[in-house]
Amino acid sequence: MTRWFEDLQGGDLFDLGSHSFSAPEIVAFGRLYDPQYLHVDPEAARQGPFGGLIASGWHTASVGHRKMVDALDAEADRLRELGEQPGVSGPSPGINQAEFKAPVRPGDTIAYSLTVSGKRLSNSIPGWGLVFNELSGVNQHGEQVYRAEVVGFSKLRDYVAPWHVRLLEALVRLPFVGRLLRRQ
Amino acid sequence: MNPVTANRRHFEDLSLGEKVALGSTTVSREMIIGWAREFDPLPFHLDEAVAKQSLLGGLAASGWQTGALTLRLLGDGFLNHIAAAGGLGFSDLKWKKPVMVGDTISATATITGLRRSKGHPDRGVLTLDLFVVNQKGQEVMTMTIANLIEARAPADEMAMPSQPYDLPRGETHRP
Repeated sequence: MTRWFEDLQGGDLFDLGSHSFSAPEIVAFGRLYDPQYLHVDPEAARQGPFGGLIASGWHTASVGHRKMVDALDAEADRLRELGEQPGVSGPSPGINQAEFKAPVRPGDTIAYSLTVSGKRLSNSIPGWGLVFNELSGVNQHGEQVYRAEVVGFSKLRDYVAPWHVRLLEALVRLPFVGRLLRRQ
Repeated sequence: MNPVTANRRHFEDLSLGEKVALGSTTVSREMIIGWAREFDPLPFHLDEAVAKQSLLGGLAASGWQTGALTLRLLGDGFLNHIAAAGGLGFSDLKWKKPVMVGDTISATATITGLRRSKGHPDRGVLTLDLFVVNQKGQEVMTMTIANLIEARAPADEMAMPSQPYDLPRGETHRP
């Protein structure tokens, strides 16, 4: 999907591209997932604290995630064109902190970026590492609307499992023994 | 006063430790793939065969979808009944177990923080701990969210009550 764990460095910056939020899109997301008047009812929202419709913060964050996935895909394609095997990213165990720093209003264009802030080997899953990323969203006025510290799993390229793990993996693949082991 | 939220519970009406059961929702294959196409098109959220080989061990919802479905429960069950005035963010979000096809998730919110906003005397900041469990009672997601909430009276009016009698000490400095 992306660069290998071994090739990622703290400070690596990825431009994730931008997204414009339309009023119908804000309302559609709000109706499904965050049906507060601020996100679904332009008339009522005018009376509210922001003087108009604003996007659900979860919408801003979910679009940011989509932009990240698209950028990872593009990076994988770039590596394949260079004749390299792209890395493998896994699911995310969580997010340390996320802030919705300013409202996202209809017509706003948010430019997203990702900065690698650190990495370490996973304690729980052998052969995988954890990458700590700082996600940022900035509107057309240069104002940061969103920032988040996101954690993701990333597969190790150069990992060789110890002999007892490889033995266990081989046993799990056997028809009868494997079924018993998997049940544990 | 904001006419939209006038009849709702305000900052002053909430108390620390208040716990709200938010109900549940069942996650279908179509929901998982629909969300993944729009917001999280990773192969292990779109394709059952790839998902089986992945760390998740089968087709599972995007963590962002679990959060969005929880937010929907929170809106219907709580935020739309209080004078909520916008989300500030969240912290310590942990996706503890994947949400698989057919799982039913239920959520609980507990008020763990209530303070006056520093910048806006007519608003407060509400902190909620959210717990999401599946039908087996296993925690699938936890997070803490911070949300603005309108106050009935600005902070300085609270400190100088208009009542013609003396309130007991401390009563004038409610959180």
